[in-house]
Amino acid sequence: MALTLQKGGNLSLSKTDPTLSKILVGLGWDPRATDGAAFDLDASAFLLAANGKVRGEPDFIFYNQLKSPDGSVEHVGDNRTGAGDGDDEVIKVDLSRVPADIDKIAFTVTIHEADVRKQNFGQIGGSFIRILNELTGAEVVRYDLAEDASTETAMIFAELYRNNGEWKFRAVGQGYAGGLRALANGYGLNL
Amino acid sequence: MTRLVPGANAPLVNGPLQVEIRYTPISGVDIDVSVFALSAAGKVRGDGDMCFYGQPRVLDGAVQMTEATPGRALFSLDLSGLAPAVEKLALTATLYENKARFEAVAQLSLSLSGGIEAEIPTSGMQETALILGEFYRRQGEWKFRCVAQGFAGGLEPLAKHFGVEVAAPPPAQAAPQPAPVVPPPAPKSTISLSKITLDKTRSSISLEKTAAGFGEIKVNLNWNKGKAGGFFSRSKSVDLDVGCLFELQNGDKGVVQALGKSFGALSRPPYVQLMGDDRTGALAGGEWLHINGTHWSEIRRILIFAFIYNGAPNWRETDGIVTLYIPGQPDIEVRMNEEGGTFGMCAIALLENDRGAVKVSRRVDFHQGHRLMDQAYSWGMRWSAGSK
Repeated sequence: MALTLQKGGNLSLSKTDPTLSKILVGLGWDPRATDGAAFDLDASAFLLAANGKVRGEPDFIFYNQLKSPDGSVEHVGDNRTGAGDGDDEVIKVDLSRVPADIDKIAFTVTIHEADVRKQNFGQIGGSFIRILNELTGAEVVRYDLAEDASTETAMIFAELYRNNGEWKFRAVGQGYAGGLRALANGYGLNL
Repeated sequence: MTRLVPGANAPLVNGPLQVEIRYTPISGVDIDVSVFALSAAGKVRGDGDMCFYGQPRVLDGAVQMTEATPGRALFSLDLSGLAPAVEKLALTATLYENKARFEAVAQLSLSLSGGIEAEIPTSGMQETALILGEFYRRQGEWKFRCVAQGFAGGLEPLAKHFGVEVAAPPPAQAAPQPAPVVPPPAPKSTISLSKITLDKTRSSISLEKTAAGFGEIKVNLNWNKGKAGGFFSRSKSVDLDVGCLFELQNGDKGVVQALGKSFGALSRPPYVQLMGDDRTGALAGGEWLHINGTHWSEIRRILIFAFIYNGAPNWRETDGIVTLYIPGQPDIEVRMNEEGGTFGMCAIALLENDRGAVKVSRRVDFHQGHRLMDQAYSWGMRWSAGSK
């Protein structure tokens, strides 16, 4: 069952969908039809310990580091233009393999070189990010970036977090300035 | 008041909407503002979906252009009056014939009823055609998004982006163009949005007859009445006459011109008529020749010429322009920007019946008089002197 993202809202994945153990984060957008620099959106994931920071660089999953060492999070690959139907970038999460000291996984979407290219989500037609149950294909939640994050260039989309032994999902929808580097450094990296 | 940057959106008030576009005009370069009504696929359904200077009222009045003056355009929208199939309205601006880029437009801004404002940042813009913004449906309500994206190639790629097949080939481009392919959902448009200037790099164009036919073809000749001032200037006004040689399919030939009072006729052969004589070029309108396009099939060819009746022939300074207005086709302009020496007659453009199409060729060649021009074009008529 797909839900409209409400900022700050959370839901128990176990309750919403008891089969949920493997999820997909899907990022999609339309390639640019007008003149100018291509639209290049990037999905990233951060595995975070109890202090809200990464344990080390391998906990940052993005286009240059596609897989976590424990295999729990895997980025399927960078799409630099949005060509292709459906999800243009996908991050796969196997909840059963996430290490015990990881309390939270944050999912972000950023516009590559947003400042230089002078682009925001509102200019990127059809841009969305969503979470799917990998096994059933059901869409759990979806966020319309072009519409609802129109003047942003980067965003923390959602977080998966442990609570009393079960995984819960929180819709964050928080815009962020400074791009992927600023986001990563906010999570304890030093790029 | 809501200020939108490109990419931002805002909900719209209910009821009729006024959309004002203001810009700093550029001398000599018109800015045309238009609205395209689009389906869910982002394409027009047909000619009736475009609101522009040639068609200011569309979709039963739901979209109307109520003003278009240099520096300001005004549209009146009744979004509730749009058919459900119309999902979006795109508001666009184009610089006529790509004569400048939007970086040259110092200020470009939008103002919508309900206090929505948007300033388009034109600094550094290489585009010559812009999508200023879009009106779109979202969960049953209308909203507006500021877009400010477009095309350096101008009106041609912009129209194509909206599924409009522009009737004429694009101006000279670096790469050869393949034959245009009509995308299946969009019908072939009979409205042309482009104005074409015939010059040495592209000297002719063939216009195919559309379902509506050619209608009344209007040919206008306009020019500088004469330069005043300057130490050595002669300050003489130049009197140019427009006329044409015609040849019908049945072999009948003749001339339509003020000299000899051969004004022609529209509803019967030769189907060409001279509409009055402006002896000073002072009227903004210049001189007009009308051709009855519904009888184009009976016409073989027409040679449009200009004749300097009085005054020294300084053709280059005269700065003559012949414009052809053919309903449903692009306006075609021929500039007489060549030196003509002492010859008083300039054959400007040749219209030929090319298997039903109107083929317009820029000639701009100079002759001493009717007889020599006739010979140059093998018209085969006999000439004797006349006066007005």
